[in-house]
Amino acid sequence: MSIIEKVFQNLKKENKKALITYSIAGDPNLESSEKIIRNFISEGVDIIEVGIPFSDPMAEGPSIQLGHERALKNNISLLSIMQMCLKIKNDHPNTPLVLMGYMNNFLSLKENLFDELKNNKIDGLIIVDLPYVESEEFLKKLNDKGVDLIRLISPTTTEERIAKILASSSGYLYYISLKGVTGSELKISNELENRVSEIKKQTKLPIVVGFGIKDAETARKMSFCSDGVVVGSKLVDEIGKFEPKKENILNQNLTSIISELKHGIS
Amino acid sequence: MSKENYDFPDKDGRFGEFGGKYVSETLISALDELEHTYKKVIEDKSFLEEVKNDLETFVGRPSPLYFAQRWTENLGGAKIYLKREDLNHTGAHKINNTVGQVLLAKKMGKKRIIAETGAGQHGVATAAVAARHGLECIIFMGEEDIERQSPNVYRMKLLGATVCAVDSGTKTLKDAMNEAMRDWVTNVDDTHYIIGSVAGPHPYPQIVRDFNSIVGIELKDQSRELFGRYPDKIIACVGGGSNAMGIFYPFLKDNSVDLIGVEAGGSGVESGKHAAPLSDGSVGVLHGMKTYLMQDQEGQILSTHSVSAGLDYPGVGPEHSYLKDTGRVVYEAATDEEALDSFHDLTKTEGIMPALETAHALAFAKKIAPGLDNEEIIVINLSGRGDKDMANVAKVEGLTL
Ligand SMILES: Cc1ncc(COP(=O)(O)O)c(C=O)c1O
Repeated sequence: MSIIEKVFQNLKKENKKALITYSIAGDPNLESSEKIIRNFISEGVDIIEVGIPFSDPMAEGPSIQLGHERALKNNISLLSIMQMCLKIKNDHPNTPLVLMGYMNNFLSLKENLFDELKNNKIDGLIIVDLPYVESEEFLKKLNDKGVDLIRLISPTTTEERIAKILASSSGYLYYISLKGVTGSELKISNELENRVSEIKKQTKLPIVVGFGIKDAETARKMSFCSDGVVVGSKLVDEIGKFEPKKENILNQNLTSIISELKHGIS
Repeated sequence: MSKENYDFPDKDGRFGEFGGKYVSETLISALDELEHTYKKVIEDKSFLEEVKNDLETFVGRPSPLYFAQRWTENLGGAKIYLKREDLNHTGAHKINNTVGQVLLAKKMGKKRIIAETGAGQHGVATAAVAARHGLECIIFMGEEDIERQSPNVYRMKLLGATVCAVDSGTKTLKDAMNEAMRDWVTNVDDTHYIIGSVAGPHPYPQIVRDFNSIVGIELKDQSRELFGRYPDKIIACVGGGSNAMGIFYPFLKDNSVDLIGVEAGGSGVESGKHAAPLSDGSVGVLHGMKTYLMQDQEGQILSTHSVSAGLDYPGVGPEHSYLKDTGRVVYEAATDEEALDSFHDLTKTEGIMPALETAHALAFAKKIAPGLDNEEIIVINLSGRGDKDMANVAKVEGLTL
């Protein structure tokens, strides 16, 4: 059983929902982003999504775009990000680390990508601009190495496509809560809740909801119909306030955001 | 390459390994809808008739094939002809595409049109068709381009469009395209995104090529009539590659015709400061397509440099990547300096002021024409007129208007 599966199984036993964070590797710098992730884990975050900075983050709203820009200034490589993940993983083997990014950065490692993912104990990948139709070959190579390809489903995904996506998914499913970029205003509706519930009926995989979840109340509502929530822009905004001598304060502030959200979904 | 084995894109939207649909899941249904609608309308006689009528009465087609006699004599070699896309309404080939796409948008019931623009020609061509059909129109344009192409910004506003300044990334065409994609993902239900080149996810490279192919189709007729044969060489500038694809496509299977695309060489391809991904790039994925890109080893897109805003783009349409690899089209680069030089040449000897984009194609013709026999015929796609560039040329040359 994969580590991702175990996490959701344990949560289910305790009747709890997953809290998943998204923060960008290298924002504000590689060392501090590692500390931020370690702090998330010690505060009880269940799964860590590690953003890979890209020069053209097309799916991101203003907050996360700025985060990518900050991270890019540090000239870090995908390999150094994976090495950071391995260090964290050695201390926290039971917390899944999932890389989230754009296809072009992953392609830069060519065929080495798959071995590197395995050697650095990466649990899964989310590739924003790799839809189902383009992913067949890539998926096989990932699954050969025991790495999950986490799929996205959006409000515009047709029923027919959902069935196909479900048939080739592993790990968990990421339901995009809204039509828009990350960090947009989320209006919770019955439609959204019904849709997640409908998809849940069709699959055994856990479904998490992300995009636009910024407070405990929204997190709570979204956790009712799903298996967990992803929080990104809210954290990346906070990380944007980083000042070199006040790293502790940043992590304290992040801690209080996390505990509020945890409280919201429990 | 014969007609039988050139049938691209394939059913997955690929030109060999290039192309595809690398977009976020939210956009897939919109692309599927577009593909489906497009397949239907190109079989629909009344739709095709409407496009034809608009091309004749709104755009002013066919565009003439003009003999550049004085320039030919000055260069002393091959005969140079110009396919006068600069005479189209709004001053460039871009309108061939927007006239068709706006009708597609109406077929799909979309009320809102968005587009990216670099030089502003595609923005103007989009704003014009949106005005004519009474549709809301938003144009995304990088801040740097707004500055260097200011006459076009005002034209778009006069045409009723909202121009959104894009200040992210390099503040040029690629960033305008990112921002347009972000808008589209947010307003996907009522909005059609008119991409301005043969770039982006499938089916855009195909649609934009097909709508621009009128240029090559007319050229076939005109050259049969004028020369009794096809030209020996056809030259076009390549930004995203729409004017080039439009004039090349009908000739792909005519192997006697050399097809040459000219990229923006900026300060020189060796300098690294250019916008020539086919001359000096590597394969990657950006803006929904697999294609040649200017990128670093980590897959970060590099900032580009060109005196011409319309060529200042780190990628290129996927069909060009395929045609480069198969060798059917040869790709060259012209520097800023060579382009400016040809801009002046044509203006002074023929009384035709070309766009700076187009001047790159002229520059390559200038290089090769003197070495060719005077029986040889070169046709250059004169993709647009240069009025928009006057202030920028003056500035580059240290003058103020
Ligand atoms: C006159 C003109 N020519 C060429 C181009 C480059 O585009 P493409 O390569 O798609 O023809 C532009 C783009 O703005 C243009 O305005």
